[in-house]
Amino acid sequence: MPSSTNIALLQGTLDVLILKVLALEPMHGLGISRRIAQVTNDTFQVKPGSLFPALHRLEEAGWLSADWGESENNRRAKFYRLTKRGHRQLKQETDNWSRISAAMAGALEIS
Amino acid sequence: MQWLRLVWRNLFRKHAVDNTLDEEIRSYLQLLVDEKLAAGVDSETARREAAIELGAIEMIKEQVRDIRRGALLEGLWTELRQSIRALRHNPGMTAMCALMLALGIGASATIFSVFEAALLRPLPFRDTGRLVELFETRLDRGMNEVAFSEADFWDLRDRTKSFERVAAYHSNEANLTGDQPEKVSAPQVTVEFFRTLGVAPVLGRDFSAAEGRANVAILGNKFWKTRFGGNANVLGKLLRLSDKSYTVVGVLPAGEPWIDDQVYLPFPYHPNADRGSWEFSAVGRLAKGVTSEAAKTELHRLAELLAAANPKEDKGLGFNFLPSRRWIAPDSTRTALRFLLAAVGLLALIACVNVANLLLARGLARQREIAVRIALGAARARLVRFVMLESLLLSMLGAILGLTLAAACVRVLRTVEIQGIPRLDEVSLNLWVLFFTLGVTLITSLLCGLAPALQTPVRGIAAALRESDRQTGASRRQGRLRSMLVTAEVALAFLLLVSAGLVLRSFQGLLNEHRGFATTHRLMFSLSYPESYGENGRGKQFVDSLLEELSANPDIVSSGAVNVRPVEGPNYGMGVVAASHSLTSASPPWAGWRIITPGYLRTVGLPLLHGRNFNETDKPVWAERGQPPPSHRTVMLSSALAKLLFPSEDPIGKHTLLWKGQGGPDAEVVGVVGDSLERGLDHGPALTVYLPYGRIAVPSEFVVETRGNPLAVVPAVRAVIARLDPNLPLGDIRAFDDVVSRSVSSQRMNSVVLATFSGFALLLASLGIYGVLSYSVSRRTSEIGLRMALGASESSILRITVGQGLLPALAGIAIGGAIAAWLSRYLEPLLFGVQPFDLSTYAAVSALLLVTAALACFVPGRRAIRTDPAIALRLE
Repeated sequence: MPSSTNIALLQGTLDVLILKVLALEPMHGLGISRRIAQVTNDTFQVKPGSLFPALHRLEEAGWLSADWGESENNRRAKFYRLTKRGHRQLKQETDNWSRISAAMAGALEIS
Repeated sequence: MQWLRLVWRNLFRKHAVDNTLDEEIRSYLQLLVDEKLAAGVDSETARREAAIELGAIEMIKEQVRDIRRGALLEGLWTELRQSIRALRHNPGMTAMCALMLALGIGASATIFSVFEAALLRPLPFRDTGRLVELFETRLDRGMNEVAFSEADFWDLRDRTKSFERVAAYHSNEANLTGDQPEKVSAPQVTVEFFRTLGVAPVLGRDFSAAEGRANVAILGNKFWKTRFGGNANVLGKLLRLSDKSYTVVGVLPAGEPWIDDQVYLPFPYHPNADRGSWEFSAVGRLAKGVTSEAAKTELHRLAELLAAANPKEDKGLGFNFLPSRRWIAPDSTRTALRFLLAAVGLLALIACVNVANLLLARGLARQREIAVRIALGAARARLVRFVMLESLLLSMLGAILGLTLAAACVRVLRTVEIQGIPRLDEVSLNLWVLFFTLGVTLITSLLCGLAPALQTPVRGIAAALRESDRQTGASRRQGRLRSMLVTAEVALAFLLLVSAGLVLRSFQGLLNEHRGFATTHRLMFSLSYPESYGENGRGKQFVDSLLEELSANPDIVSSGAVNVRPVEGPNYGMGVVAASHSLTSASPPWAGWRIITPGYLRTVGLPLLHGRNFNETDKPVWAERGQPPPSHRTVMLSSALAKLLFPSEDPIGKHTLLWKGQGGPDAEVVGVVGDSLERGLDHGPALTVYLPYGRIAVPSEFVVETRGNPLAVVPAVRAVIARLDPNLPLGDIRAFDDVVSRSVSSQRMNSVVLATFSGFALLLASLGIYGVLSYSVSRRTSEIGLRMALGASESSILRITVGQGLLPALAGIAIGGAIAAWLSRYLEPLLFGVQPFDLSTYAAVSALLLVTAALACFVPGRRAIRTDPAIALRLE
């Protein structure tokens, strides 16, 4: 069962997470949602109401592309994959994040 | 490109995009269910939990749609279609709203187009900020706007350093002879005149500096168009003006109302010009960088020099100038047009309030629909946008209809002539007017949409869904809002009605002023004599025989002539004093002088109060050329002037000094004539000195008293004149009534326009009251039925229903009255003989509004009384 700690996603955080999990392999919506929960130790629970708009936004930005395919249990599902521009974006966002988190850690004096 | 492609896809392949999204969400749900099943729950539970986890599908779709490229556009497009559908669904209300707005917008556009043409359109002169009109002043005699004497003008021109250029204008008329003789205005201007104004001929050339004495002419634009058909080959043509030939060298651009003369002739420099006769208007262009303060200081110094050099004529001389913007329209026109613009604003505002009221009522009926939309996930912002869009659509519809209305009004306006409003024939719905209309439309849509938009429910969605709209708090709140709108509407209508009432009363008062002269059955016409009429008494001979022949006509009662047409003619004036008080009188009264034939007084209906009329023994006060000055001069005075000069004596036989301050002659008073509004109906009794006509004083304005319709004798008059002198142009033939009526045409326009606006305001206000009340009665049908079933009397039912309509109206009257009392002092310049706070007008307006409100309440009130309790209760 998902834990009750459920932090509201920071603006932009969800986008990076989606890019990150898709960097490994193409995935469908539910898969993305589950993978994010998994990699953040259930800190982030992505609801469909946030997930779909985010996916479509990223797709329109040209960072993701989508194709219909078969899921692991033979269901038709829409798979998202990272485009070249998506990879570049992820790289940039990751750099940003490490800078920000370093700065935040410093500011808050987290050892 | 990518962006465009996406917008394109989202907007125009919307269906496919939506289908894909739908499928994607369904597949997501399926995967969720699979996941739950795999975890070992039964299919029913799996399905339920999956649905819960997914959430509201429609909301997700809505959110995805909202982030898509072009979502805003698409939303607007959808809402636009919805709005159009909603408006078409309710054609009666749509038409009603559009018509009201059309009225407001159309009236605004019309008034603004007049405003724009009359006041905003600049004169075709370069850098008008530096352009001024110059005057002489004689402040010691209380005169601050006197024309220039020729010598003073030349002196000023030669010495001033503050002005780049100055030029003078001398009004003049000439007989244009040729295939149709015509009297034309042919002012003489110094050769720098047009260069000073900064206007260049559109055709040909300006006067050259050396051309003062040349027989050349420049044509005014309008005259060129009407007389020469705007033909370019007019250049080089010879004009025969008062027996002299002039070559046309140029044509001016259209510059009405300021350069609207027909022909301009050059005026040459004279080395020893006259200093005692003030006949020249002067214009000047300030040199670059010279402030008007500096220029005034220089002019002051110049005036002192001139006064010292010419003590006889220039004693007390000063110079002054006024900015050129006055040339377009006098201040009174500015005030009147600004006021009308404000009035039309009020009307438009009332229309807006009414439409807002209607939209509110409709919004109430749609409350449940709106609640459903909100429950289904429509954002509140989107609903507000929807309402605003609807009012924008209505306003645009109104604007289109309104512009059609305005176009019709403008077409009519271009054909009328209203004294004091320039360029009325050039009024058009040009770009400025369209911009203005666009602005008005946007404001209108904002005002109309605001109240309904704010009414979209925030709370109580569940209540709105569950209950019928009769009981919801929102509807009660809205009822209050609607009553407030009615109050506002009545208050605005009050303002309009009061101003209309005051202006109408002024106008009525103006027409009912005791004029002194009689205007019915009087024909007026003017003649323009050639110069030869000034010699050997030919002019007098002509006038005598004309008057004699006219009197022989059985349709003509009497006839007479005067040098200045009453009411609309220019004013020739002079200082005049009683000879016995000539030393004590510091500031002599300024009186107009009129040269009249003996028959003039009777013809124009002026009574002789004392003494005698002129007869053949009375001769002009001037000396004929080569003759000694007359030994005995006689004058008659208007009653007011006689009282002023001889307050406690019988004026008959007393002597006056004419042209006081200019070394004028002594004359004996032989008669006192009744006062008249000779300078116009709003000017009060004129001070007038009547002088006898004669060989060197030949009046050219004729008045004929007829037995019937004055215009019926025109052919006879023409025939007589043609027999006496076929070359004499006959002009300005009009009934005296018409002359008087024209002189108050701007007041009439104010009255007509305001009365029309007020009528509409009254109509709109009563519609508003009716709408609110009939709606509230229909909502309370069951309550009324219950009350009646319980034995309430008809009068008590009437009280509770009609009170609901009358109360806001009463509040509106009170508020409107207070605001009107406060604002009406700005009306003062437009009023005549009426105080801005005229109690009877206020009372009448209150009564009118009250009666109108009562009538508007009557129909719904009667419906309430006629309610059948049995049926009313069953409605629930």
